[in-house]
Amino acid sequence: MSEPATVHVGDEIPPWTMPSVDPARMRTMAAILRDPYSVHWDREGNAALGLPGRVINQGPLNLGYIVNMLLAWAGPSCVRRLTVSFGRPVLDGDIVTARGRVTAVTDVDGERRATCEVWLERDGEHVVTGTAVVVLVGDQSDD
Amino acid sequence: MTGLTETELHGLVGHRFAGGRYRIEHWENWLLTDCTGREPLPDGLVHPIVLFHVPILGVGTSITELFELGGVSGPGSVGLEGYDWEYFGPLHEDVEYRMEGGIVSLERIIDDAGRTVDRMAFEITLFDEAERMAARITNRWVLRR
Repeated sequence: MSEPATVHVGDEIPPWTMPSVDPARMRTMAAILRDPYSVHWDREGNAALGLPGRVINQGPLNLGYIVNMLLAWAGPSCVRRLTVSFGRPVLDGDIVTARGRVTAVTDVDGERRATCEVWLERDGEHVVTGTAVVVLVGDQSDD
Repeated sequence: MTGLTETELHGLVGHRFAGGRYRIEHWENWLLTDCTGREPLPDGLVHPIVLFHVPILGVGTSITELFELGGVSGPGSVGLEGYDWEYFGPLHEDVEYRMEGGIVSLERIIDDAGRTVDRMAFEITLFDEAERMAARITNRWVLRR
């Protein structure tokens, strides 16, 4: 594992895996978000989408797995920018892994920052892709 | 169904949300963080994904109202295209953030499957209790007709 204090372009960020996307967490999340969109909790309603018996994970949770990877690597207050695009939906029971790679290290406003290519993958398919900017302040990983 | 005419659609660009304030409480941050599958962060730090729902609620709107504004309803009618979230410093529990923002773009396109699709983007800025910019989000949604 890279130590953030000695990060270099090309370094891989230690991956973070969600071993089974949990529909109970989607229901809690829907309540927190005040999100009425039934695709996150109505299995039968999703038959019309070609997903009978399945529910679709919230986009913020998919991004959350990427963020958890960053927090575990660079510390609990490291995130400065997240720019992501959503591709394929993530479903309950899916196994997804967040991964990333450092593409630049720069000094901005007195902070040493790493720009990272990040993605969430399922069975090798990238379902979320994007860029993250994190602050490097020594080994502040919190996990 | 197209939901909104192109004229109505373009009329939404520049729509300003009411604006308002939001305080992220410990229980909410705890549950949200648990949903991501990790332990709570130390020192009252909030999980960075609060920048989905807190700006929407804090600016005085809701996911329901955004769906209504866009003229969409039902499973499959809305998709996430992407986010651009900037953090000008860590966000904390029990801080009252002020928020302002609005709809910044709407574009009607025909997708690869020949369906009418509208791409909507809204931007919201958060200010801390000292009126310093704390975060800024741009969310891009796809409204399927």
